[in-house]
Amino acid sequence: MGYFAESFAELYNADGWIDMGMYIGAGSSMPGWYTVIASVMLVAILVKGNNDEQDHYK
Amino acid sequence: MEDQILALTAELAAVKSAAQVTNTMFAEAYYYLTIPLMVLIHAGFLLYEMGQTRVANVLSSGIKNLLAFAFTIVTFYLFGWWFYWALPTFPVTSLAAGAGYMEISGLAYASSIALPWGDSAQYMGPNMGDHASGVFWGAFALFAATTASIASGALIERIQTVGWVICAIVLGSFAWVVAAAWGWHADGWLVTEFGFHDFGAAGLVHAVAGFFALGILLNLGPRVGKFNADGSANKIAGHNIPLTITGLMLIIVGFFGFLMACIILPGEGWSWYADQGTTIYGTPMTLSALAFNVALAASGGIIGAWVFTKDPFWMMSGCLAGIISVASGLDVYFGSHVIIISLVAGMILKPCADWLEGLGIDDAVGAVTVHGTIGLFGLVVLGVFGSGIPGLGAAAPEGTVAISLFGQIVGAVVMFLLGFVPGYVVSWLVNKAGMLRIPDAVQIKGLDAVKVPAQAYPESMVSAESDSK
Repeated sequence: MGYFAESFAELYNADGWIDMGMYIGAGSSMPGWYTVIASVMLVAILVKGNNDEQDHYK
Repeated sequence: MEDQILALTAELAAVKSAAQVTNTMFAEAYYYLTIPLMVLIHAGFLLYEMGQTRVANVLSSGIKNLLAFAFTIVTFYLFGWWFYWALPTFPVTSLAAGAGYMEISGLAYASSIALPWGDSAQYMGPNMGDHASGVFWGAFALFAATTASIASGALIERIQTVGWVICAIVLGSFAWVVAAAWGWHADGWLVTEFGFHDFGAAGLVHAVAGFFALGILLNLGPRVGKFNADGSANKIAGHNIPLTITGLMLIIVGFFGFLMACIILPGEGWSWYADQGTTIYGTPMTLSALAFNVALAASGGIIGAWVFTKDPFWMMSGCLAGIISVASGLDVYFGSHVIIISLVAGMILKPCADWLEGLGIDDAVGAVTVHGTIGLFGLVVLGVFGSGIPGLGAAAPEGTVAISLFGQIVGAVVMFLLGFVPGYVVSWLVNKAGMLRIPDAVQIKGLDAVKVPAQAYPESMVSAESDSK
């Protein structure tokens, strides 16, 4: 799944709790792709929403 | 002996470490709790706006308000947060060399912490060692959504949903963000060059949102039936004034959270000081100061509005206006001073709203006046009484500009322009695309019947306007 850790045991050692992303895809290009997909979805939703709204006003 | 000293040193280090953990967790919890408190602002605006709407349009107003909240928060994540960190010194210095003396601004800095992709993504999501980014982002996202909610009420019963959402995105994720970068950031050029001071965002949230609404209103036009042929105005009553008034009171509850989030806590890497809370400018501030001044301002505004109106709607609007009128200087005003200023704000509120209506502008909830006019009033009043107070905390370089009337007036003009110009331009473009105003025939028929697959009230509950159809 591209998660940042294989085991949590090391995190609880000294200096194991560090400043880094702890989400799926951390350290890879996946967050960027998620952002692109979410942005495209939002624009598409606005376009569809506007089309539906204009139909109501006809 | 040496062993005892070593043991005590180790114990001291452990105690200090534990104290730092406590401080960090307290700070995280503090800002986190401001977020649900600020959600109450939106619950309040939702009730306020729907109550001021006629029965035939209630749910459409609710949809419009909810979507503005949602799209503003999402787009603030995608790009609004980046603008806040990128633009403080622009255009005084170039964007490329934009980092100010605090070294927490500019293109490179913003791109390293506030973009949801690349290396900065680690600060835009769950992070093991970062207890600050998410809660600060959350508080700012709710500030952003507040700007959209402020403007939303002015436009009820005739603005299209998607057209409004586009306007709300520009307001919540760009216009007010630029204002915040310039005037609500230690590197902001309004602060460093003019000593601009706006602790509680009277200008950069309220005035920007109020005048953004005015820009839209000029392109949108009034509701059908608002003005007669001779230019005189008709009163269009909302369907549920108790709902509106309760909503306004909820907004006040949320304001306590909003203003609480304007304090920078001590003892963290991002704090101004190790042991004292400050404003965002690094100047002294405490929650106790807020407790005195916000409660008094709310009360002063209610009383001031009651003097001339005797109307609970305007009294609660006066309550908002009272707080907004002193928001810029909540950190420096004395309680009795707050009473005076907020009384005046409450008194001038209704005449200002009537003047605007006399110009043929249909501001359905008085948002332009309550937030725009009173916001600017508050900025200038602070310039009158607060001139000479240092504008930045001790970490600022010597010779930093102090608060002044001139600086506050410059800031007020900038806030007006940052609200009005984007509001006018984006609504003009949306209007050109045919996405701004709902056709008059649909307004007359009622918006909910045309585009909402639900009804607000049982069929047995009818209103005067639904009776007439």
